Amino acid sequence: MDPIVYVSLGAALAAGLAGAASAFGVGVAGAAAAGVVAEDEKNFKNALILEGLPMTQSIYGLITLFLILLSAGIIGGGFKFTANTPDNIVKSAILFGAGLTVGLTGLSAIPQGIIASAGIGAVAKNPKTFTQGIIFAAMAETMAIFGLVGALIMIATGVGL
Amino acid sequence: MELGTLSGILNTTLAVVFTWVAYKTGSYIYKYTPYSYPNARINAMEAKLLSEQRFNELAESRTLQNFVVNLEDTEYRDYLAGVSNYIIEEVERALDRALAGSYELMFKMLPKRSRDFFRLLLEEWDVRNIASVVKAKMAGEPASDYVVELGPMLPKVKAMAEAKTMEEILVVLEGTPYEEPYQKLLLGELDVSAFETELYRIYYGKLMEYAASRAADERKIIEEFLRMKIDKLNILTALRAKAAGMKAEEIRHLLIEGGSLNLEPVLHVDDLSMAIAELDSTKYGPVLREVREEVERDLSVLEKALDRHIITRMNELVRFYPLSIATPISYALKKEAEVRKLKAIAKLIEDGARPEVIKGIVGEEV
Amino acid sequence: MFRPEEMVKIEVITLSRFKDPLLTYLHEAGAVEIRELDVELAQRDSPNEYHRKAASYSITISRLADFLRAYRKASGGGIKAFIFPPERKKRKYRYEGIEKLIKDVEDFLSVVEPEVKAVENRITSTQAEIERIKENIAVLELLSAIDLDVEYLRHSGLVEVVVGTVERQKFEPMLKELREVTEGRIAVASRDMKDRILAVFAFLRKDYERANPVLAKYSLERIEVPEGRGRPRELIPVYQEKLNEKERELEEAKEEAAKMAELYYDDVVFYQELMENERDKATVLPMLARTNMTFALTGWIPRKDVPEILEGIKNVTNGKAYINVREPKKEELEDIPIKLKNPGWARPFEMLTEMYGVPRYDEIDPTPIIAFTYSFFFGFMLTDFLYGLIVGIVAALLVKGHRKFNDGTYKFAYTLLWSSVFTMAMGILFGSYFGNAGDIILQYITGNPEAQFPRITDPLKDPMFVLMLALAIGLAHLFMGYSIGFFVRWKNGDVKGALLEQFPWMLIILAIVLYAMPSKPEGALLGAKALFGVGLVLFAIGEIAANGALAALLLISDFFGFVGTWLSYARLMALALATSGIAMVINVLADMVWGIKISIVPLGIVIGAIIFIGGQLFSTAINALGAFVHSLRLQYVEFFGTFYSGEGKPFSPFKSKREVSELELEA
Repeated sequence: MDPIVYVSLGAALAAGLAGAASAFGVGVAGAAAAGVVAEDEKNFKNALILEGLPMTQSIYGLITLFLILLSAGIIGGGFKFTANTPDNIVKSAILFGAGLTVGLTGLSAIPQGIIASAGIGAVAKNPKTFTQGIIFAAMAETMAIFGLVGALIMIATGVGL
Repeated sequence: MELGTLSGILNTTLAVVFTWVAYKTGSYIYKYTPYSYPNARINAMEAKLLSEQRFNELAESRTLQNFVVNLEDTEYRDYLAGVSNYIIEEVERALDRALAGSYELMFKMLPKRSRDFFRLLLEEWDVRNIASVVKAKMAGEPASDYVVELGPMLPKVKAMAEAKTMEEILVVLEGTPYEEPYQKLLLGELDVSAFETELYRIYYGKLMEYAASRAADERKIIEEFLRMKIDKLNILTALRAKAAGMKAEEIRHLLIEGGSLNLEPVLHVDDLSMAIAELDSTKYGPVLREVREEVERDLSVLEKALDRHIITRMNELVRFYPLSIATPISYALKKEAEVRKLKAIAKLIEDGARPEVIKGIVGEEV
Repeated sequence: MFRPEEMVKIEVITLSRFKDPLLTYLHEAGAVEIRELDVELAQRDSPNEYHRKAASYSITISRLADFLRAYRKASGGGIKAFIFPPERKKRKYRYEGIEKLIKDVEDFLSVVEPEVKAVENRITSTQAEIERIKENIAVLELLSAIDLDVEYLRHSGLVEVVVGTVERQKFEPMLKELREVTEGRIAVASRDMKDRILAVFAFLRKDYERANPVLAKYSLERIEVPEGRGRPRELIPVYQEKLNEKERELEEAKEEAAKMAELYYDDVVFYQELMENERDKATVLPMLARTNMTFALTGWIPRKDVPEILEGIKNVTNGKAYINVREPKKEELEDIPIKLKNPGWARPFEMLTEMYGVPRYDEIDPTPIIAFTYSFFFGFMLTDFLYGLIVGIVAALLVKGHRKFNDGTYKFAYTLLWSSVFTMAMGILFGSYFGNAGDIILQYITGNPEAQFPRITDPLKDPMFVLMLALAIGLAHLFMGYSIGFFVRWKNGDVKGALLEQFPWMLIILAIVLYAMPSKPEGALLGAKALFGVGLVLFAIGEIAANGALAALLLISDFFGFVGTWLSYARLMALALATSGIAMVINVLADMVWGIKISIVPLGIVIGAIIFIGGQLFSTAINALGAFVHSLRLQYVEFFGTFYSGEGKPFSPFKSKREVSELELEA
């Protein structure tokens, strides 16, 4: 494949997969939030914070997209890997890998949304479980964070900004 | 290796990974998303179930009017709004309507693939109503006193209660699944208790059929719930029959299929205490042991203990499957227990029982 | 600091007639947590007639309050009321015993309740009537398909008329059967309506009883035909007129309710609070013991409040009380309620500790430590001067507005204020002002394309540095946690636990530090190996001691558990980079549209400014949420995991809630 295909696929997968996963996650949690608010408006604040948690993955995806585009020179200057040399292919493949890592780990937004949904329900039953609910949901995000750390290292050391 | 083979392997791997991820993600979303809204809302509703403190305050009401006033800041308010004469029947009817209301709400909220279960559960009231109307008619009592205002067939049940002859009831029941056993009852092929068993058999048969048509967790949860219900019914029937000294052959056809328990050994013992001893080795042993002393005197203690056991078990399932049908089932059971408790309190207040007595009696309830 | 408030147990026995005044005094003082008294000789106390009334009136009044609140003219609201909520005036009430209070409430209710109920009834009945009229109109619209006089449809006498709808496919068989049972003596008119059929049946009175079961069998839904004369179509305007009139009446009733709300709302809320406090007071009665003449109570009280409360009890009881204050016994350690005690600067952070769980009585209170580490981690993850400034301004306003209430908002805003200071400091350290927006503006002003704010490094260009920094901080954080755990255990006499559970990790961390030092002094490597070896052996012994045969499995999983915990601090770097990344994304987007012009209109500047301001505000909010959640997580999961149980029972004093009322007690 040409370098440009790798680069744009990587960027698209990072933002696209993570974004879609975030949308599902927020959607699931949002339905739960609507449910508890329908019963008691006091649950609004707690539900809102828990609902927002699965949003971060899409941000990681977006950042990775920009870093990939920046690293490949698509933003600011011109595309660096126009020539089809092995070196360029390797570099663009690294960018692709970085994007894929963030995209796939970004799928953690879906289970995070489900945990948040269960958490919202639990908080409605017993408001004292709010912090625990947040921590449980934040657990699922760890994978996305590791993915982002990995991708940043891949981009910064493998290709350079 | 050729560059082409290499990228071929790479692409295949990617394709496999993506297919797997897409499948997993899809099934994950399909499984949990539909329960997100209803279960969260039900959790919020559970927070509003009446506390022990509230029941104590209600027990202190002394008059039905106070009882109704004490419920005015709860969900029951809308249903009690129509109560104006403060007579027990009116209050009980309002509480029944409240229970029907929460079943109806479950039906509205739950995903299409499992919500019919709650419609089916409501049919238990039809079965109870039909059985009590028929019994009352046969005993020559006014049947409408025994009708609980619940169940999808309520208009028909009311028409049955108003019917002048047993044959008119048959006309009303025509076309329903309950027609056949009723016909047999009229022809004398069945006695009343066998008729009642037959009604329950039809009802649970329908539910089990529904459960079998569900998939995965839903099926597992619903089936476990139904088995417990059937077991409870069968255990009680068997023990009652044993207490009355019935023979194994007579009891056998009063039992309903589909439970998880083999009651055959229980049927062949001589008396009640041996029957209870026989049950000790089953999974309901721990439940029985708790109430061992009282059971031999009063079987309704066992009924309550079994109800409690079902709720406990459903709560376990809720913790295991927080986003599943277990949550609404467990809530419905708790709500039913609450309504039962409220009705008991109302009745005791009506009878002029002292608050301490009410607290004592109601405290034992589930 | 570091220790919860010292608690002592108090026991009081006094005469029954002082029960109400004494409980009221303690309720208002709010310093004692009353516990159940375990005595065999005496009886449990129970609520009396007046307490029952208090519970009942509290519900009645709260209903009135709900009703009036719905019709109260809205005042204030909005952002200003959120940041600077007005203080509610506290009305004084002279408390002369619950009997008097109940009587006052009864007097108040006897005036207000009928008035409010009257208006409420008017509203509900008018609303019900409106509903009914609407239903009637709907029925009439339905019936206008059958153009028969309404009077005929309501007919009852020698001929019975029944109107109803039935499912389409059931209609024909039903008709057939009806003809059979009535032997043809039936008149029918019907109209199609989608999937149902609207039908009018007329039977002879004597046939009706035979027909009725058939109607039930086919589930005919009967329709109540509205009153009136003439054809349905002619009747509709008449009902419409009625409807308008009722709606006018409803408006009037609502206005009256608004008037009533203005008149009574404050009073109602005042009495509601009085009653709710009485209701709350009655909940401790079952914990007291009583004899004919006396009663006794027991509870926990912070040592510093003892003199004041003793004085108070003596005052209330005229000195006729037996009071015993004693130190907690060893076996009561689990039972002592925990009230955190910290200097003023750290007190709002107690909220964070309480959210996780308060320490046991013999444990250390980590609040002063997390005050710093939590704020610092928050700052690290946000790392932007201007984001910090925004958060800081909002937090400062909230702190100012809510200080006098000392509520949750105040505490949270206070922790945010601290965090924002660290955020700004980290922002300056890494030269981040709305990401790289600061640099772009600096370059524009100086004209130098390379101009930059001073910084130690650019996190986006050199993420490895930030990662190392984050992991180093993590190591230090964990080391602190293990050390605290080690000392607390050692001090509490659990030497074995301290040596086997905390100490090994301290050694291993030291070994990692020695190993990772950039310029290794002589023998550092050997020292590192030795420390690591000793640590590992101790850890293995600890595992075997704790888990026996399972140790072999747990050894591996627990060791990598530690590695996972440590690596978890990588989130410091990830979130810091996410902040600067998203800020940069916004800057790039704004930059892209900046130059767009339509002829001479600089449209790009307007859109760019909207993107920039809106985007940065959004980014502040979402990144601050992330920083909050993950900073908290690092405290709760990673840090507390090293030493803290949080299994203490929080102190919940017997205390009144006063927002709009204040009691004047008899001296």
